[in-house]
Amino acid sequence: MKRSTRKAIPLLTLATIIAILFLLPLIWMVFTSFKTLSESMASSSILPQVWTLENYTGIFSSVTEAPIFRWLFNTTFITAIGTIIVVVVDILAAYALARLNVPGKKVILGMIFAALAIPGIVTLFPAFYMFKEVGLLDSYIPLIMPYTASTMGVFLVYNFLLSFPKDLEEAAYLDGASQWQILYHVIFPAIKPVAMTLAVITFLAIYNDYLWPSLVTNSNEMKTITLGIATLIQGSNFVNPAKMMASTVIATIPAVVIFLLANKHIVKSVTNTGIK
Amino acid sequence: MYKGASYNIWSVLMVSPFVIFFLLFWALPLGLGIWISFHNWNVSAGNLGFVGLDNYKMILTSGTIYNNLFITGLKNTLYFVVISVPPLVIIALGLALIIDNLPDKFKTIYRTIFFISYSISVTAVSAIFLWLFNNNGGFVNNVLMSLGMKDAVNWLGEQPYAWLTILIATVWWTIGFNMMLFINALNEVDNSLYEAADLDGAGAWAKFRYVTYPQIKNVGFFIVIMTVIASFNLYGQTRLITNGGPEQSTNSLIMNIQTSVFGMNQLGIGSAMALLMGIIMTVILGFQYWLNYRKKD
Repeated sequence: MKRSTRKAIPLLTLATIIAILFLLPLIWMVFTSFKTLSESMASSSILPQVWTLENYTGIFSSVTEAPIFRWLFNTTFITAIGTIIVVVVDILAAYALARLNVPGKKVILGMIFAALAIPGIVTLFPAFYMFKEVGLLDSYIPLIMPYTASTMGVFLVYNFLLSFPKDLEEAAYLDGASQWQILYHVIFPAIKPVAMTLAVITFLAIYNDYLWPSLVTNSNEMKTITLGIATLIQGSNFVNPAKMMASTVIATIPAVVIFLLANKHIVKSVTNTGIK
Repeated sequence: MYKGASYNIWSVLMVSPFVIFFLLFWALPLGLGIWISFHNWNVSAGNLGFVGLDNYKMILTSGTIYNNLFITGLKNTLYFVVISVPPLVIIALGLALIIDNLPDKFKTIYRTIFFISYSISVTAVSAIFLWLFNNNGGFVNNVLMSLGMKDAVNWLGEQPYAWLTILIATVWWTIGFNMMLFINALNEVDNSLYEAADLDGAGAWAKFRYVTYPQIKNVGFFIVIMTVIASFNLYGQTRLITNGGPEQSTNSLIMNIQTSVFGMNQLGIGSAMALLMGIIMTVILGFQYWLNYRKKD
């Protein structure tokens, strides 16, 4: 063993103990989902004594009251479309604001900064009422579109572009490149990291949102997976930790897998938001 | 300059989708919320007439049911901010310092483990902690009883245990994010500063106090601000783990605004409460900025 590693043993031990504490709730969730109902209520051991798949088969047979796969589809659909719209719309706006002559630029920038300082709760219930009045509740529109009003993304990309040198764009322009060519060949490659950051932030915000989807959906079929799990917690026929954990495992695994695959990007994203 | 007037049409086209969405889904609801807050407005029946500042007066007059909802929610939320922000910042810094001092090959794996719970949604976190800490059949009580404890701890139905459960769930869920910000800040600290401190014979604490701390102060302030905002928006954990109990002691402000809007059908009063909450948050954050900048001058 290298000397540096040996010196780090006390610290490694501490880190390992904390790591086990961090993983325990997840490990418990997975193993509990394989316990029988009676064991899950009474057991004080993490591992099941009797392994069963009844909780998972139970989920498949109760998809009419708890359509968990429909919820997963809804979440996938909403986060994908929402994230794409936000990234494209925000990049275009930030580019125009940072580089071009936009009429009313100062007013738009002022609104963006003001909106950053005002907490979201202020617009939540009136926005719900708006969608109710135009008859759009329980559709995908209120589940996707309000996220496009976030000014965080424009702010991030705008800030990045301000600190990014213009030389390349000017050279491309002098060579006769069109506006779209400059965007496509010069700007997009340069802002990839910020765009990735924005995508991750937006994805997490939509995926994790609970209160807003609970206001604008009524039917079981329109729920997101995050909202669906809340419905299961509050529903009376799920007073069963084993079945609850099986549903939670199904709800959680896609997110954890995405998280592990995109780990590098997410780490970078957090880093990027933290700089300023 | 290559910014010609000919670009105006492009710039308008590029910026307008965002501006339209922003006006439609942010500015319009904001204006509507202010407008509604001056009216007796039902969710179901709509506008029942202009009432001026009556909604605000009712919320701020002690003894009314709305005053009770608002003040209780505000107190509970502020209490949560006070008990959650210090651990969420200090433990995050501790974890970041541990990772920063680990040998390089171990850094990624531990960083990932400490950060992984951040990928889980608030409702899944609530499901897990609800059943870990449930009074009847919860895993923690089962373990404690098997270790010889006589009576089950009423984790969710008695204070201070209910807040403790909410706090543990929140720390477990979100601390990885703050930790990542600290790790990044620690990476930026110039190593030669530590070497210089070593030469001066500085101990671990002195090194932290005089080398690390000044370098991460700004990121630390940013983290405190973000954590205060996040804790102020407490909703999912208390809705799902304790459902506001015991005796409404974990009813957060957002929960009580929701009760005013839907439980009592008072969109006007609920909108006024939301605006007041927004003002209070803005004032607190403004005060934090003022404190921070005043120190710098």
